[in-house]
Amino acid sequence: MFKKILVANRGEIACRIIRACREMGIVSLAVYSEADRAGLHVQMADEALCIGPPPAVESYLNMDKIIETARLCGAEAIHPGYGFLAENAEFARRCEQAGIVFIGPNSRALELVGDKIRARQTMEKSGIPIIPGMKHVAADFAEYATEARKIGYPVMIKASAGGGGKGMRIIGSEDELRPGLEAGQREAKAAFGDESVYLEKYIEDPRHVEFQVLADNYGQIVHLFERECSIQRRHQKIVEETPSQALTPELRRTMGETARKVLAVSGYNNAGTVEFLLDRNKKFYFLEVNARLQVEHPVTELTTGVDLVQQQIRIAAGEKLALRQEDLIQRGHAIECRIYAENPSRNFLPSPGKILYLREPGGPGVRHDGGIYGGWEVPIYYDPILAKLIVWAETRDSARARMVAALDDYVILGISTTIPFLKEVISHPRFQEGATTTAFIKNYFENWQEKQGPADGLTLALAAAALDELSPSQKAGKAAGPRKDVYSPWLTLGRWRIGEKP
Amino acid sequence: MEFEFSVDGVRQTISLDRKDDRVLIHHGEKTLDAQVRVISANAVSLLVGGRSFLLIIARDKDKKHIWLDGRTYLIQSSEEEQRLAERGDDRAQKGKSVVTAPMPGKVVKVNVAEKEAVRKNQTLAIVEAMKMENEIKSPLEGFVKKIYVSPGDLVDSEKPLFELEPKA
Repeated sequence: MFKKILVANRGEIACRIIRACREMGIVSLAVYSEADRAGLHVQMADEALCIGPPPAVESYLNMDKIIETARLCGAEAIHPGYGFLAENAEFARRCEQAGIVFIGPNSRALELVGDKIRARQTMEKSGIPIIPGMKHVAADFAEYATEARKIGYPVMIKASAGGGGKGMRIIGSEDELRPGLEAGQREAKAAFGDESVYLEKYIEDPRHVEFQVLADNYGQIVHLFERECSIQRRHQKIVEETPSQALTPELRRTMGETARKVLAVSGYNNAGTVEFLLDRNKKFYFLEVNARLQVEHPVTELTTGVDLVQQQIRIAAGEKLALRQEDLIQRGHAIECRIYAENPSRNFLPSPGKILYLREPGGPGVRHDGGIYGGWEVPIYYDPILAKLIVWAETRDSARARMVAALDDYVILGISTTIPFLKEVISHPRFQEGATTTAFIKNYFENWQEKQGPADGLTLALAAAALDELSPSQKAGKAAGPRKDVYSPWLTLGRWRIGEKP
Repeated sequence: MEFEFSVDGVRQTISLDRKDDRVLIHHGEKTLDAQVRVISANAVSLLVGGRSFLLIIARDKDKKHIWLDGRTYLIQSSEEEQRLAERGDDRAQKGKSVVTAPMPGKVVKVNVAEKEAVRKNQTLAIVEAMKMENEIKSPLEGFVKKIYVSPGDLVDSEKPLFELEPKA
């Protein structure tokens, strides 16, 4: 086993990985940018080193610096977390060349699954269902038009190097094809430096169902069932759960076996997620492989009892998988909500700034994976994810009720967060029914605004504000209200002290 | 005694009367009889008719953030509010309009120059925060009187970016 691991990430996922290292008796080495000196991951790690200025390209994406730091500090392995360098084949290769273990798939598998067209070709050859459409880039418009007719409208334009919705376009008829292609190519070029696009059948209102898979370095592959991640905005997941309401035991078995096969034909090792689209007729199609630990991995951990980060580390250290498919079962139901520093009433405007007060929810079956603390200034440079709230209960209904209660208990003051929005999503009747598709947010939460609270709420809040004015902890003059007569207040009301019994 | 606050731009008057271990809270037509216990510098417990309410309080430079039952109230002292309003009036009187940053971030692009004519909703600048680019749009038709920032500048929320002069 490794003695020291460099954690090449920040925020909640770095903290999650550091916890796993601690429990395994491995020394954790945090790296941080100048903006993150006060970050929670730096506080939690055994060792920490600054790797550069705030912009990610000069710090968390600086491959040379990170590999050099690992060498210098004697870390035998690097865990990339998600985002940043997690799916970067070049970084994986450079780690391999430097004799440092990259805790993730090998660079060749990363390259294959990172190229959408090549991945589609490989999967189709192996009999894995893919969304009907092209497996190459067309030479000219006429060829795209012919292909589109063959697939049947509506079609979807996708970038070959794609991801994150960039270059993606839905085309309803042939008139829209030419302008759509031009815009898609432009966008793909700007985002990835590669204008290659291809056409796929557009699947209306699908569900997004993914399977967690673990593969050791010796060809043993198990899947740890599905996660349903249909609740998305701007192609970004915000609520995930398992098990999916859409799968029957047979469908789950078939999709799970398909996911294992996807990894096998890709020569893949370590943890990965196979994403599928599930259409209205319960037909599933391979979408892509997420070659990393996923943000939403905790729902799988809570329902299977497997620690995925520890499994990743064991596999990377060359251990054989101790899990056997026939022993794995799903127990109960888990839901995750992503807490972002965004203002949901203002079209999810980013909301960095100082967290004035934090109270994390607790209680049975509640897990909080966070990278934040009260008094911390959320930097402007990175992803707005602050924390993840995950609950487990015996049934979906209980898990849902538990999540609503936990969100109710969650206090973050000082910055806007998605907490009030998530509470309404989880409480929505269609969510309660399990009728979740990728169009859910668009259909029910477009231009969402926080509703007015109960009438007494404002009265009580104002009373608290007034009491706060009178409390000795409130320095006179600082945010002080108007005292019409500076001399009288204490006479009528008296000072309030902490813990005071009047 | 009486207190004045401002919440979402609306003036609110509240008065508290202490009676033994209770406080009578008057707000508009409403009176609530509450038993008060200050738990910490950040928390007050109120018992009203047997119902228990915990209020969590934090403060920044110009307002209080008060949490109750999953809702956050931003409460400004009306002195501060008045000060801001006066500044606003001042601007209005001089026929100017100041465009401010909607959130903390980094100015990545300034699309206009001083003296340049602008249309309503024209993009004046792009401010990036948390990997998201946000277009700062002109609220009016007119011209750019002054530019306070350059590309690369870090800005705080509410920091003035541009001063515009409406079209006469």
